[in-house]
Amino acid sequence: MSRSSFCGSAAHALDRRGFLGLAGAGAAAIAADMTGVGRSLSSSTLASELKQQGKRCIMLWLAGGASQLETWDPKPGAVTGGPFRAIPTCVPGAHISELMPKMASRMNTTCIIRSLNTKNGDHGSGAQIMMKGRRDEASVKYPDLGAVLGKELGRADSKVPDYVWFYSQTEGRGFAPGASGFLGARYAPMELTTNMAPENLRRLDGITDLDHKERSDLRDLLSKQFERGRTSSTLGSHNEAYQRVRGLMASEKLFDITQEAQKTRDSYGPTQFAEQVLVARRLVEAGVPFVRVARAWWDSHGQNFETHQEMVPELDHVMATLIDDLKDRGLLESTLIITLAEFGRTPSINPSLGRDHFASAWSCSLSGCGIKGGAIYGKTDATGNRVVEGEVGAAQVFATIYRALGINHQKNYYLGSRPVPLTDPNTKPIKEVLA
Amino acid sequence: MPANPEKLKSIKEFSHKNIFFAVARNSAGRTFVGTSDFKVYEVDISAAKPELKEIGGHESYVTSLALAGNSVVSGGYDGQLIWWDADAKKPIRKVAAHARWIRDVRVSPDGKWVASVADDMVARIWDAATGKKIHELRGHKELTPHHFQSMLYACTFSPDNKHLATVDKVGQIFVWDIATGAQAAKLEAPVMYTWDPTQRRHSIGGIRSVAFSTDGKLLAVGGMGKVGNIDHLEGKTRVEVFDWKAGKRECEFPGDKFNGLVNQLAFDPSGNWLLAAGGANDGFLMFLDLKTKKPLRQEKVAMHIHDIAVNSAVDSILAAGHGRLIQYDLKG
Repeated sequence: MSRSSFCGSAAHALDRRGFLGLAGAGAAAIAADMTGVGRSLSSSTLASELKQQGKRCIMLWLAGGASQLETWDPKPGAVTGGPFRAIPTCVPGAHISELMPKMASRMNTTCIIRSLNTKNGDHGSGAQIMMKGRRDEASVKYPDLGAVLGKELGRADSKVPDYVWFYSQTEGRGFAPGASGFLGARYAPMELTTNMAPENLRRLDGITDLDHKERSDLRDLLSKQFERGRTSSTLGSHNEAYQRVRGLMASEKLFDITQEAQKTRDSYGPTQFAEQVLVARRLVEAGVPFVRVARAWWDSHGQNFETHQEMVPELDHVMATLIDDLKDRGLLESTLIITLAEFGRTPSINPSLGRDHFASAWSCSLSGCGIKGGAIYGKTDATGNRVVEGEVGAAQVFATIYRALGINHQKNYYLGSRPVPLTDPNTKPIKEVLA
Repeated sequence: MPANPEKLKSIKEFSHKNIFFAVARNSAGRTFVGTSDFKVYEVDISAAKPELKEIGGHESYVTSLALAGNSVVSGGYDGQLIWWDADAKKPIRKVAAHARWIRDVRVSPDGKWVASVADDMVARIWDAATGKKIHELRGHKELTPHHFQSMLYACTFSPDNKHLATVDKVGQIFVWDIATGAQAAKLEAPVMYTWDPTQRRHSIGGIRSVAFSTDGKLLAVGGMGKVGNIDHLEGKTRVEVFDWKAGKRECEFPGDKFNGLVNQLAFDPSGNWLLAAGGANDGFLMFLDLKTKKPLRQEKVAMHIHDIAVNSAVDSILAAGHGRLIQYDLKG
């Protein structure tokens, strides 16, 4: 598959993406594009893809389930409210927990959805739903958000990974692994669990760069000879993987925060979560479509208030710094920041001063790209026990995310001849939070 | 007859929807509680149907109470110290004492001083009669070694009124000279800082309780031991006892029965044993033998105990916790 005629323009990138859509699905036995074999790009598709150009997403995954009452939906003075106050934000009438003063002054960049009822308070299946927007079927393994965004927002000629996730702590790591589902290995995440940078990315010391390039050229030549007269999606995926190798190797520096100015590093702070989010910013700036940074141990069955007093200020600081940093670089309008978890926490306070799993009335936030800053959607009752306005589930949140990123949430992938929409049929995005 | 842990029995229980964070009982037997509805109440637990009678309120959880002469002094997560006239049910004095949560308030045995500790990591000593600030004791670090906000959980006066001990989240123990405000000793119980650098990067431990022995020689601290790969109070209870002037750890009780935090400590006046109270989902009362260095008696309690009020003989214990007050006797 020659790339020499590609000039690098956005228009050519669109055309190429359209015609090469099938190859992107790799060895998976599917035609993973919107129109199936032989389609031509319609004007609406072109418009949609244009909207997607340069869009990126960083997910801050609050593993274990952060408390909505100590973050986005405080209930001060209620019997369930706990000890923290609510504070006003820069958006008149909008209050959040006093643990988030920095986000309070940046609420004009962020919307809150306070009416999630995702009906699943189990870590494993809750995480699956909130990473995929729906449950797997017996015969269909759905791709998670990162895989879909890698496919939709990534570029076939990209020299950077499409989907990266950091998950350094142990809590819930096995519950919510990156999953490319029927999109196949091409869209599986680059997973970082022990180091800040991928292992085995560096060229072996015993091979010079010239050697490496010449070996690659030889492999390419032999592949082209073998490919002549043959058609195979497996072959295409194989070649594409090799073509990405040198790009991925060159991306090593993206994971190195010492490349950043000390002032920038200081602004994020010294914690592991802060450093990983800084890497996430470096990655999206370089064109990585989706990065998930997991910060675990929000599962505060014991000492909920101590836990949140320790961890919410870190989230508040890092999230606010990320927003400022993206804004300063002109990237906030094209980068969506999501805070999400497998569920929230019970309004009731247990004997260990903890809050337990709760999926009936909880919150998430969306900031930046495509979002109506300052919007607060949905409402819970006075004690936070149930949604009283605007109840939504995972599907609506995912539809909203897709629309914010310029992706048609009703778009079909194809499993053989079976159309599989990005979100379940009749799912509507939450238009009140979209710009 | 001296108090006898073998005679421990529950003699009265009072249940309520509130969480009782603090309890204090004066020599006349009047009992005051601080609760999760931000209020200070008086309650007569010996009544056939005990009722909470409101004295006044804070703007957040009321987490500590102490008795200074005829007044009740309350401290809350709103950072305020309030002196109350319990009879008139009115505040005598409100002091914006700390910038962050007040964790503990104590009155010196001679009644002259009030000490408060809070998450601003400062211990302050106040004139009990006038509310005038006497000392600001600074030394506990505001941030943990891992860059998170630390917490200053507890304090206690020495029996001779000359020293104040303060304890924090990362396992540091300071003893302060009241007369000068200088640091008299520094000790460490690092196991109680339950930070895990690889699996968790999180800590819900800390030294939660501190007490001097009646002769003032020993200083006991309580908390929780190492927590596993789970986010509950699943660490074993932990108590360490120091000869604080010598800077030497005399003994430790790593816990062999209960999980959870040791929130309160009290020495038996004879110096034979140490009472430790606290909890996880349930609670416990543990009597720790200081001679054999082994538990003497360990009793499960049906509530996480946040505070205890004990008389001078330590043969009467009023435990305050999650939705209950329980009166125990240990009379021999």
